[in-house]
Amino acid sequence: MATLTAVRRGLNRRAVQRGLNPLGAGFWTYAALVAVLLGSLFPIYWSLVVASHDNDAIASVPPVLTPGGHLFDNIARVFDTTAFGQAMLNSVLVSGSVTVSVVLFSTLAGFAFAKLRFRGRNVLLVMAIATTTVPQQLGIIPLYILMAELGWTGRLEAVIVPGLVTAFGVFLMTQYLSSAIPDDLLEAGRIDGCSTLRLFWHVVLPAARPAAAVLGLFTFMQAWNDFFWPLVVLTPENPTVQVALSSLASGYTTDYALVLTGTVLAIVPIVAVFAALGRQIIGGIMSGAIKG
Amino acid sequence: MTSARSGPRRRWIYQLDVKGSPYLYIAPFFLLFGAVGMFPLLYTAYVSLTDWNLLDPAREWVGLANYAELVADDYFWNALFNTVSIWLLSTVPQLLAALFIAHMLNRRLRARTLFRMGVLLPNVTSIVAVTIIFAQLFGRDFGMVNWALDLVGLDPIDWQAGTLSSHVAISLIVIWRWTGYNALIYLAAMQTIPEDLYEAARLDGASQFTQFRKITVPMLRPTIIFTAVVSTIGGFQIIAEPLLFQAGTGNPTGGSDRQFQTVGLYLYEQGFSMYEFGYASAIAWTLCMIIVVMALVNFAITRRIRSS
Amino acid sequence: MSAGRIRLAAGALAVGMLAVGCGGSPSPSTGSAPADSKITLTLNLFGNMGFKELYAKYEAAHPNIKIVERTSAYNDHHRNLAAHLATGSGTADIEAIDTGFVAQFRNQPQHFADLLKHGGDQLKDRWLPWKWEASLAKSGAQIGYGTDVGGLAMCYRRDLFEKAGLPTDRDEVGKLWPDWASYFETGKRYTAKKPEGAAFFDGGPQVFNAMIGQAETGYYDTQDNVVVATNPAVRSAYDQVLKAVADGQSAKLVGSSPAWNTGFAKSQFATIACPAWMLAKIQDQGKAFAGQWDVAAIPGGGGNWGGSYLTVPAKSKNLKEAVALITWLTTPEQQIEVFTKHGILPSTVATYDKPEVTGLKHEFFNNAPIGQIFTTAARNLKPQYQGPRAGDIQTAIRDAINRVEEGKQDGAEAWTQLLGDVERISK
Repeated sequence: MATLTAVRRGLNRRAVQRGLNPLGAGFWTYAALVAVLLGSLFPIYWSLVVASHDNDAIASVPPVLTPGGHLFDNIARVFDTTAFGQAMLNSVLVSGSVTVSVVLFSTLAGFAFAKLRFRGRNVLLVMAIATTTVPQQLGIIPLYILMAELGWTGRLEAVIVPGLVTAFGVFLMTQYLSSAIPDDLLEAGRIDGCSTLRLFWHVVLPAARPAAAVLGLFTFMQAWNDFFWPLVVLTPENPTVQVALSSLASGYTTDYALVLTGTVLAIVPIVAVFAALGRQIIGGIMSGAIKG
Repeated sequence: MTSARSGPRRRWIYQLDVKGSPYLYIAPFFLLFGAVGMFPLLYTAYVSLTDWNLLDPAREWVGLANYAELVADDYFWNALFNTVSIWLLSTVPQLLAALFIAHMLNRRLRARTLFRMGVLLPNVTSIVAVTIIFAQLFGRDFGMVNWALDLVGLDPIDWQAGTLSSHVAISLIVIWRWTGYNALIYLAAMQTIPEDLYEAARLDGASQFTQFRKITVPMLRPTIIFTAVVSTIGGFQIIAEPLLFQAGTGNPTGGSDRQFQTVGLYLYEQGFSMYEFGYASAIAWTLCMIIVVMALVNFAITRRIRSS
Repeated sequence: MSAGRIRLAAGALAVGMLAVGCGGSPSPSTGSAPADSKITLTLNLFGNMGFKELYAKYEAAHPNIKIVERTSAYNDHHRNLAAHLATGSGTADIEAIDTGFVAQFRNQPQHFADLLKHGGDQLKDRWLPWKWEASLAKSGAQIGYGTDVGGLAMCYRRDLFEKAGLPTDRDEVGKLWPDWASYFETGKRYTAKKPEGAAFFDGGPQVFNAMIGQAETGYYDTQDNVVVATNPAVRSAYDQVLKAVADGQSAKLVGSSPAWNTGFAKSQFATIACPAWMLAKIQDQGKAFAGQWDVAAIPGGGGNWGGSYLTVPAKSKNLKEAVALITWLTTPEQQIEVFTKHGILPSTVATYDKPEVTGLKHEFFNNAPIGQIFTTAARNLKPQYQGPRAGDIQTAIRDAINRVEEGKQDGAEAWTQLLGDVERISK
């Protein structure tokens, strides 16, 4: 419920005139912001530093703060000594399938909820929205039992299938489509004899693209970073990146340089996406729509 | 597109399409969500009423025995205390810092996008990677934090060993990851505050700080409470950070004395280390109730503020 | 706002994904490559067992076999194995099991191939008798073949001993500590003059493990009753270790943790109880200290800590090939190679007479005669009965000693809490 009102507010906000504080930022504002920026960057930078040295660097006093020349050695060792290559491929498969599916099903359902009249619509919509607040993490035990019954434990299906739909996605697309597509357009299509499926394909999907892109980005990042359920249901033998990383960190022969090289490898794809599309992601959050 | 042709058959198909297809479009969501989201949660309630160990084929209906055991379980209360402590230590400073950062971002800035992306960056990095990094920074013998403490003449701290120190370290991980995200939510809300309110205040000679306190914060109150609710739902389920903070010790106990074991981690220990599915389900269901109560309390507060 | 750019990127993303493959195809971790009908055998291990060179040899002799080894952390490995057996999926073709967990798994023989039915009945005499019996189920089935034993010695750093004014020669060092009391006395002498940052031993729990490994009875009596609270050997070892911790002899590092690994590289301790398998570990972690490490006799003499078994889950898709591989890996010839290359001590008794074993010296450990030291240790070893939850109890004791090392509790408080934990475990 809280989410719903927040998003309503968020969408209305666009209409409101942007009220930037007219005060320019002074020296102290910049100084403070730069400090915040450095604080945000430092842990990531430091992991890169350690990843580019050999293992002795981690425990040196004073600590090393500049990159060394071992990064590529270490990357090669990560792929040699662990299932990291497999993990990367698995993560791409999982995040990719989940993203495509979430975007598709959310847009479909969003279209129905936003633009089609049918019996029970309101009740069903409220139900869908209410499920966003369900702490799904707490259902892991039956979910595990279910996966064991299906023989999926240790297999990628076990992490893909539970991620195929999200209530949040449905909700976001419903909100977006109800304002993004004029009813007249659909009406005109109908008079031309278009079936709803054709309308979906030719009118709704193209119009949904901006929101779908944001939803896709968020879904991909979330799926890539998802840890707890994959940890429970997958094994170190067939892991996603996050699971591989955690077993690297708790492995029998821990080598910090190796572990932090792993963290760098796990972060890099997401940071790359973020660097390319950060503006859109920020837009998504600022529209108040994206729930953590 | 072809023009409409009328005819009974066509009309029938049209009717079917209009009346029936919506259900088809929402079906994937409801079916899948029901199977992998809703059903497990409900089934948890059933499992919690049984004595069910994964490694033992015998299953027994025990009624509320698991809950009775839970209420008398010191480790559960310890975990609940740790959860609340870490939640408070992470949420309060996080939201205050986010407000402050949002306030700064809400000025006319050069490199605005750069700053916004910078504060959000921690949020897109993975919990696993971040926790591993922080666990090294907070290392006892060679961690950079202790090195810095030493520089300023303070004694090193065994961050993992202490109750408060481990809570602080874990909270910092949460704070680092979520402050920027909340700052952007606040920033969005700040931009909806009508400019004339500030203008009027300035005419009255109100200082920057007074404006922030008397206008910005009150106008943001619903957003603040919304973020508090979201942080509560997330904070009470925290598992990955305490689990990975002790990586390499092999047991999800949250330290030698369970000093940073949260309820979520206790659920994980019972469920996937001991494989006591019945008892773990009782923990899950109890935690779910606690979260619902906390969310309702927050919701009630939200409403009261709006009506007053 | 560049809507075009985002659209493009999203499109590229989607296309990329479709190209990689929609829907989750299971990853081929245990599957075999269809093109050349090779059989892939996977082994799940929890540490370096010294098999790497042997795989190549086996693959060369069996062109249709490909071997993949996966390693995960000790506790995770056994925990996952238990769940995978119970749910009937996720096990590899071959699973390693440690001594501390073997009793738990021999109680579920239905999950494992009975090796007696695959030629094991002919092989019984390969192993030390107690090693063979420890993996024997009540039903009479044999669930695993023994690989190594954890016959004990004490590894020490010559350079640190010298700085502390102690003898460095391994025989003289061995004479310093005929029993544990004199080991801790030596610890006091060492600590009085210790080099900065280098404690006497790595951590209380590890010393405790070595001590309890020598006792006649450990955590269980032979009827599978937990006797932690009543066995005087447990309490005595516990008290002695905590006394030494109080004297500042411990580096307070948790065994197998990342910090412990760093401890080797940063010389944070001068001695470590070393079962034969620890040699590989020390060598991996403290490469810079070749020649500085040496191996002396263990205080108290004899004793066992760790040691493993190779099992084949009944669900293995390549059961016959897997059994053939573990049979081959545990032949005396291959085990000799494991010992000479990695210092991991075989449980195959026939190897103990071989000159290449008894005469083996280890260059990294200052040419210590490890062949002689460890075969003697293995022969003198009094086998100790292991009960079902021994591994979990060991972890609970570790936590108790850690609580004292971290200054959170005194010995009595930690002991009381430990007994409560043990009761939960054995419930």
